[in-house]
Amino acid sequence: MASGRGGIPGPSRPCRLPLLFLPALLPLLVLLAFSFSPSSAVAAAASPGAMHNNNWAVLVCTSRFWFNYRHMANTLSLYRTVKRLGIPDERIILMLADDMACNPRNNYPAQVFNNENHQLNLYGDNVEVDYRGYEVTVENFLRVLTGRHESAVPRSKRLLSDEGSHILLYMTGHGGDEFLKFQDNEELQSHDLADAVKQMKEKHRFKELLIMVDTCQAATLFSQLHSPGVLAIGSSMKGENSYSHHLDSDIGVSVVDRFTFYTLAFFEKLNMYSNASLNSLFNSYNPSMLLSTAYYRMDLYERPLNEVIVR
Amino acid sequence: MQCYRDMPEFIAQQMTNLGAEVYYHEFLPQSKHFHPLKFFTSTASSMAVKPNGTYANFGINTIGIIRAPRGDGKEAIVLVTPYNSQRVQSNELLSLALGFSVFSLLSRATWLSKDIVWLSADSQFGEYAAVSAWLNQYHNPMFLSHPVILDTKMYGANKIIYGPDGTTEKADHMSFKRAGTMAAALIFKVGETRKYGDRDSVTMYAEASNGQMPNLDLLNVVHYLAVHRQGFRVNIETFSSLLSSSWLKVIAEVFQNLGSVLRKINPDWKLDVTVPDYVEGTANLANSMYNQALGVPTGSHGAFRDYQVDAVSLEYSPAFHLRNENAKSSFLLRGGRLTEGVVRSVNNLLEKFHQSFFLYFLAAPSKFISVGVYMIPFALLLAPLPVVASALADDSKAKGKSVDDCKTRGDADDLQIRGGSWKWLKSARVLLVIQIWAVLVSLLPYYISQIPSAMAIQYAVIWAVLSIIILIALYAMFGSPYCAGVEWKLLKATMITSITIGLGLMSIINFATAQLGALILIPMCLFSLPLKVQLEMKLLPRTVLLASNILLTVLGFPPAAFLIMKGLSKGSWTLDIGEFWSWMEFLWEWSSATYLYLFLVHLPCWLLCIHVLLHPCHPPESKVKQE
Repeated sequence: MASGRGGIPGPSRPCRLPLLFLPALLPLLVLLAFSFSPSSAVAAAASPGAMHNNNWAVLVCTSRFWFNYRHMANTLSLYRTVKRLGIPDERIILMLADDMACNPRNNYPAQVFNNENHQLNLYGDNVEVDYRGYEVTVENFLRVLTGRHESAVPRSKRLLSDEGSHILLYMTGHGGDEFLKFQDNEELQSHDLADAVKQMKEKHRFKELLIMVDTCQAATLFSQLHSPGVLAIGSSMKGENSYSHHLDSDIGVSVVDRFTFYTLAFFEKLNMYSNASLNSLFNSYNPSMLLSTAYYRMDLYERPLNEVIVR
Repeated sequence: MQCYRDMPEFIAQQMTNLGAEVYYHEFLPQSKHFHPLKFFTSTASSMAVKPNGTYANFGINTIGIIRAPRGDGKEAIVLVTPYNSQRVQSNELLSLALGFSVFSLLSRATWLSKDIVWLSADSQFGEYAAVSAWLNQYHNPMFLSHPVILDTKMYGANKIIYGPDGTTEKADHMSFKRAGTMAAALIFKVGETRKYGDRDSVTMYAEASNGQMPNLDLLNVVHYLAVHRQGFRVNIETFSSLLSSSWLKVIAEVFQNLGSVLRKINPDWKLDVTVPDYVEGTANLANSMYNQALGVPTGSHGAFRDYQVDAVSLEYSPAFHLRNENAKSSFLLRGGRLTEGVVRSVNNLLEKFHQSFFLYFLAAPSKFISVGVYMIPFALLLAPLPVVASALADDSKAKGKSVDDCKTRGDADDLQIRGGSWKWLKSARVLLVIQIWAVLVSLLPYYISQIPSAMAIQYAVIWAVLSIIILIALYAMFGSPYCAGVEWKLLKATMITSITIGLGLMSIINFATAQLGALILIPMCLFSLPLKVQLEMKLLPRTVLLASNILLTVLGFPPAAFLIMKGLSKGSWTLDIGEFWSWMEFLWEWSSATYLYLFLVHLPCWLLCIHVLLHPCHPPESKVKQE
């Protein structure tokens, strides 16, 4: 996400007591007032005060079944990109239904492609799926975000971020107005997500959070967020659908979504040492190619967008 | 080099070479005897195979099953190619070749998630008999206590195959193997070359028994793949006489002009239809409604529908000569790709087709009329009927009360019991008598058909005579409706109530029959007025009413309607009553509910109409005079 420090905002002015009070109390009060101001300055500087020292990624694919092949391919391609650009497996939480590669309908067993040219197999021995199959539920997702697990859950399934973490949260699947559908069975509402993010903020589980959502009407999913330090981008606005990019006639289904395709195209040009900024990523989305309007929400984010991307 | 005695063995050997599981299914055709319970029970396997006898003339289906290597084996897709094993023709050979090439491709496909069953059905007793016998054994297996001894010298379970290196192996070709629930079925055959053209065409048949249709999605898949991918021309059955009729063109031109005028008024109203589209659509729609109304399946896909499996029949009409090898291999390629595409589409599904319509009429291979639209005219026809019935009953009750008040004041209880609000019971009794008569008439063919070896016309005459005798007997027993003192208004009200109920019930079973029946019955009933009452009207309305009464009554009588329809469609006006008997035989062979409708709803209503027309219209007098 972003490295470098931002400016510390100025402390709040202490209120001046009226001079009708006894002049004997005045020096004491003035002393107290001065003692408040550094602490308030410290409180205001708590979030930028911690240094950015690690990156996490939480990649969630919320759909299963053969005709949702492209959601799986989206998530796996982003997983590959994130790994390539430097985040190790122990800092990635990957939640997939994982029923594509070994599906009897797959003409290329044990292989998952995101492009018709079949050049890149996204599935292999070094794909570490943390939540697989029916474990991808709303409950597990919220537990991962907030860190409130049962005691038996292993470390590899926990988001062990701290207040210096920059987290990328990527979600794809079928969604609608203020919800995201999990595995045809249940739904995640936007206010649930906002509550989880708020809990994360209170528990200092992140320094900055980037949410990317690739579903229909994606922008409604983060409309309820109100925690500072969160930047969110969705593939379409309310009332718009997100479209798939192309159909692979050999496999028989669409293999990637447009928003993710253009995101990946942007990232393929980078490597671990690049200095591209989020601003250039956002500017690379062309609404006529996406057939929807990529919308991003910056009001909770304090720094301007010409920072460095995940690296 | 092995010598094959005939086709089933050859097919079985080819399938075994591919590595599929193969078995034979032997069957005998079911008897076409009329049995009253056949309408209500599903055709349980009538014991066509007797345990202690040998039969040389039975049909042999050859079935091959490919198990999906990575699938779970719970579902199957069925491909059917019918051929006549006694007399195989070159077009049937081509359809077998097409089926085999698709089967061999699917045996090597890596994307299979459902099992594939290929049934090469022996159609010497008819294609439907073969497919329905196999399906019956598949879903309702019959376990005999005595093993069946058939002429199994060739196909017996003890058949020994001599392998190429001299070893022998037993082939278990007689045990019936299954593949799970059927997701969908595709029946295809190559017809004969009718005319040589530029494009091969495919005719889709979709209607199953009692007007049921497969899910529209299956037809859409076939149509899209055939037209847009493989370049076939897709047709559905149509009435060619309507296509060339001039009055239909006139109507179409009227609609086109009206539509263009409306479009000029408001460009959003896209109601104009071009004349060829309208004519073709009407012909197709008429045929679709007629086939559904008859209630008889248009092909062996109807056998699948009885088990809730979506199935469609495709008949390829090649436009090339069947000796042309280049054209044949190109046809195999395109037809094979079409079949493979349909199989792959069904294979990728998770559930059976259920998102699209099940109740629809086809106006073109890609145009349909759904239930929400075609229910409206029927509902409009049916909705006023209860109102009419209650208005008539109320009218007669009011008149009856005034008559009773005028006559006498004494013994009011007696009058109110005999007259007043219980008068409708008399007309209900008349209705009951007529319904009993109708039930007896519909059951008569069961006994008549047991008379051996008579011609159809003799059966028909016997049937007509017997029904008239029974009618007279019933009237003698229960009293004629005229001497019971039933008023014509109450009689008409009862008649209208009975057709409301009858048509309403029939519309749930087979909508097309109810719709077509309503078009004739409802005007006939509403226009019926006693002739004596008609004499009191003015000249012009009287003649119009009389003419319409005569026309509708003639049309309403089923044999007459049948003769008129036959004359109009074929152009030959022969008066053959025997054909009516054969038509009825056709209906009950297929357990079509249309037969029940004709005799339990249509015929009683017609007879009641005749009674209303000939009503003597005396006021209820005899009981009052006794006081």
